[in-house]
Amino acid sequence: MKRFIRAVQNNNLFIKMFLVMVISIISVSVLITFSTFRMSNNLFMETFSITNTKVLNQIKKQFESYSYSVVFRVINVQNNGTIKRLLTREDISSIEASNSFYTIEDQMERIYSEDPNEANLIILGKNRRLFNMKYMNWPVSADNLIDHRITQNTKAKPNEILYQFIPDSEITNGRPMIVATKALTERSTNNIYGYVYIPIRERDLRGFYEGYTSEGNSVLVVDGNGSIISSNEQELIGQDAQDLLAHAEETEENGLEYQDVHVFGKDYMLLAEALPALDMYLVNLIDKEMVIDNLIDTKEIVLISIGIVLLAVGVVFIISRRMTTSISKLVRQISDMAKYDFSKPVEESGGYEARKIAQAFNYMLNELQEHVEVLLKTQRKQRKSELEALQYQINPHFLYNTLTSVKFLVKEGKKGAAFDTIDALIPLLQNALGNVDETISVEQEVTNIKNYVLINQTRYGDRVKVNTLISPDCLHYHLPKLVIQPFIENAFFHGFTKKKQGFIQILIAKRDHKLICEVIDTGDGMQVDKMQSNKGKRQLFSGIGIRNVHERIQLLFGHAYGVQVSSELKKGTKVKIVLPLLEEITKNNTKPKNNAKNDFLHGENF
Amino acid sequence: MMRFSQLRVWLLVVAVVTVLALAACSSDETGGGEAEPDKITAWAWDPYFNIAALEIAKESYGNKLELDVIENAQDDIVQKLNTGLSSGSMKGMPNIVLIEDQRAQGFLQSYPDAFFPIDEYFNLDDFAPYKLEPTSFDGKQYGLPFDTGVTGLFFRTDYLKEAGYTKEDLTNITWERYIEIGKDVKAKTGKDMITLDPNDLGIIRVMIQSAGSWYMKEDGKTVNLVDNEPLRKAFENYKAMMEADFVKANSDWSQFIAAFNSGDVATVPSGNWIAPSIEAEESQAGKWAVAPIPKLDIEGSVNASNQGGSSFYVLNIPGKEKAAEFLGKTFGSNKDFYQNLVVEVGALGTYTPASDGEAYQTENEFFGGQSVISDFSKWMEEIPSVNYGLHTYAIEDILAAEMQNYLKGKSLDDVLADAQAQAEAQLK
Repeated sequence: MKRFIRAVQNNNLFIKMFLVMVISIISVSVLITFSTFRMSNNLFMETFSITNTKVLNQIKKQFESYSYSVVFRVINVQNNGTIKRLLTREDISSIEASNSFYTIEDQMERIYSEDPNEANLIILGKNRRLFNMKYMNWPVSADNLIDHRITQNTKAKPNEILYQFIPDSEITNGRPMIVATKALTERSTNNIYGYVYIPIRERDLRGFYEGYTSEGNSVLVVDGNGSIISSNEQELIGQDAQDLLAHAEETEENGLEYQDVHVFGKDYMLLAEALPALDMYLVNLIDKEMVIDNLIDTKEIVLISIGIVLLAVGVVFIISRRMTTSISKLVRQISDMAKYDFSKPVEESGGYEARKIAQAFNYMLNELQEHVEVLLKTQRKQRKSELEALQYQINPHFLYNTLTSVKFLVKEGKKGAAFDTIDALIPLLQNALGNVDETISVEQEVTNIKNYVLINQTRYGDRVKVNTLISPDCLHYHLPKLVIQPFIENAFFHGFTKKKQGFIQILIAKRDHKLICEVIDTGDGMQVDKMQSNKGKRQLFSGIGIRNVHERIQLLFGHAYGVQVSSELKKGTKVKIVLPLLEEITKNNTKPKNNAKNDFLHGENF
Repeated sequence: MMRFSQLRVWLLVVAVVTVLALAACSSDETGGGEAEPDKITAWAWDPYFNIAALEIAKESYGNKLELDVIENAQDDIVQKLNTGLSSGSMKGMPNIVLIEDQRAQGFLQSYPDAFFPIDEYFNLDDFAPYKLEPTSFDGKQYGLPFDTGVTGLFFRTDYLKEAGYTKEDLTNITWERYIEIGKDVKAKTGKDMITLDPNDLGIIRVMIQSAGSWYMKEDGKTVNLVDNEPLRKAFENYKAMMEADFVKANSDWSQFIAAFNSGDVATVPSGNWIAPSIEAEESQAGKWAVAPIPKLDIEGSVNASNQGGSSFYVLNIPGKEKAAEFLGKTFGSNKDFYQNLVVEVGALGTYTPASDGEAYQTENEFFGGQSVISDFSKWMEEIPSVNYGLHTYAIEDILAAEMQNYLKGKSLDDVLADAQAQAEAQLK
């Protein structure tokens, strides 16, 4: 979990950028896809309604030519005197019958053969004589026909051509049929002498328009009673569809190009044309959904969109990943800078921008380091000068006192002691006046201490004894000058104010790869914070006092080293000086190099 | 610089992938050559007769063939075949088509390359000889004979009995004798003897084929009316029937059926295929019998003739071998199949070995226990063979008109001479 959050934080920029891009790409693709659908649908529906209006007009023409041929045939039959004569005549002999049958069919053949469409021609006389031009299409008998509904309807309206629908039934041989009927009447008396039927099988009527239909684009013929009498959707034939008729009438009356309707439990686009001569409506129903499904391969478009989105997202992923990882890496490196002392330059990699930033950053870092180094050097130089100045301040009182002591010794005739004292003073001075940075070996320091102690004992007597205990393996190590001396001095002049006698122990040993020097006195003891008083400044050997030994050691060697003081009243004081093990004299700077920056980092020392 | 070239590479990759993706989406169609079809189509016209027969054949073939039988009116089949074959394009044509024998020569002679000879797929000797001539051309057999139109004289035993005639009196008679009997029947029972459609000279064709004659000479092309003795005799008989006033006129099939179903006529001289229609009127069971068709009173005429009948043809398009194989194994050689055909469809084939079969011997109670099918198949073998030629129906239209003139009193010589002249002019 933590790792996950960390990963999220590390890739924050990338995630933000990538999400924004992905959301944009997806929303753009989705919007474009949908608007493509919508636009093509609208365009298609518009075009479809225009073409279908034309198609419907074409079909209408077919129906009109059909109705014209019906009218033409009916008039021809009506006006044919031979037919009239033979239908009204009751034949007696076989020859007469044969002749009239032959003649009537001959006449009918002439009327019939002029028309190319599939409609049949049947004439039924009142004498129950029936002549059928296309027996195969409708093998109906006179008895069946004369009592049929369609004949009764015709009888009721003898002067009209009626277009009547007969659903598939026994009489039509199982085939739905549309029959145009007209009574044949004598003009003078209006007596009916026969009927003419022009039946067309629904299948043939369908031929007028079937070529224009397709799945989801169907044509229906609805008669004035609201029955569907013909359709390329065959299961609809014979159904009662008042709502469809109402829609068709509405479309026609209002001169609408098309309207959207809900019939047969579905949404359709409806176009309609009236066929007034036939008392029918030509209805074109377009199942929008299906037609559009056929037109537009939704799946394909969606797949293409998805493909493009995936591709774009992939490309965006790779590109933004490249851009952001370099920046993220840079950020990570910069925030980790402190861990590596500001010394490690950031890696110059990744994109152009990232590399430029890294370069600038590294440049800045270098400049900063240089600057700090210069600063450090200057400070150190300054400090060194200060220390040197202090060092060179060999107290004239010390010299005066010492020389006075020597004078007395010479006066007293203690020639040897005088010689010894001067002999101790010379190396002491020689040593003190050298470079403050220079180190001296432990051995030499011990000699210096001894000289110093000798001079002091010459002046003040030997009531304070000094012991040195030096571990032999330490003798060759080096240590800075005037590190131990100030503490001995301090012990001499401040440790034995109340007590008049005591010891000062000097221990030098190696411990834990460090050089440990201890100055232990058995004097008065004191409060640690009072140690650095300037009391008795006159007696001091040089300007360097105990107060800046610690400071100097830390300046030279770092925080691991320094001076610790512990004291107990009336018991004594213990000073512990911790130094590195220095094998040889280094020029100018005795500090271990790798520590220099450490000091810089923890700049509070300055 | 390097960044730009990388970017370019990326753009290129994107473009290529996009193009590939789009190309993969667009569908491609592969066109195929004219391979052997899996489905064999057949055109026929009567769902209760020849289409039913094809379905039984398909079943007896073990449904090994995907046969798609398409119903078309006979006129439509003729029209579609003519349109298709004359254009030379065999597109949309069926593998198997049923053609009426009297029209077959018209197709075979006009489009000989359009049909596939099927001599090798069945044994010609197994079929009634009269059936082979109309279905073959140029020495090659193209049609596989289906049903026979062997004729018989169906008659009402009760009416004839009333007029004093028995079955023997009607057996192997001439048309002249038939007319005499008809007059008696009309006089004694008041019933007409026969029903005829003035536009259909079927009865004339039955008469002339019984004497081995046709409207054309044996070459199938030369119009043969004026010097055609059997035709002359047939015309005389026809007029005699009309004058005897025992002919009930009809103008279509339903009126034809109605004429005898209603009991208005005493006899029906017709092809055997009328039997189911007669049997449909169950109230007349036992009142019918079948005698051989009357013959013409001239030498060479026999008491057997033919009316109608059709055969299957295989079109010369891919799938022809399959189609021919199918026909050969069913209609061409399967005796049991013919028994089924008789029992289930009532179709009498022209495959002679089938007549030994059990179904053929069945006695028909409707016809007073007569073995009708057996009788028909016997008569079938005697049918004189004629070449129906190309123009049977065209000539018949002319003859039908002239017949009316003849009935009105025009002399027979003029009638036939005029008909001959008209026919020659029209068919030239």
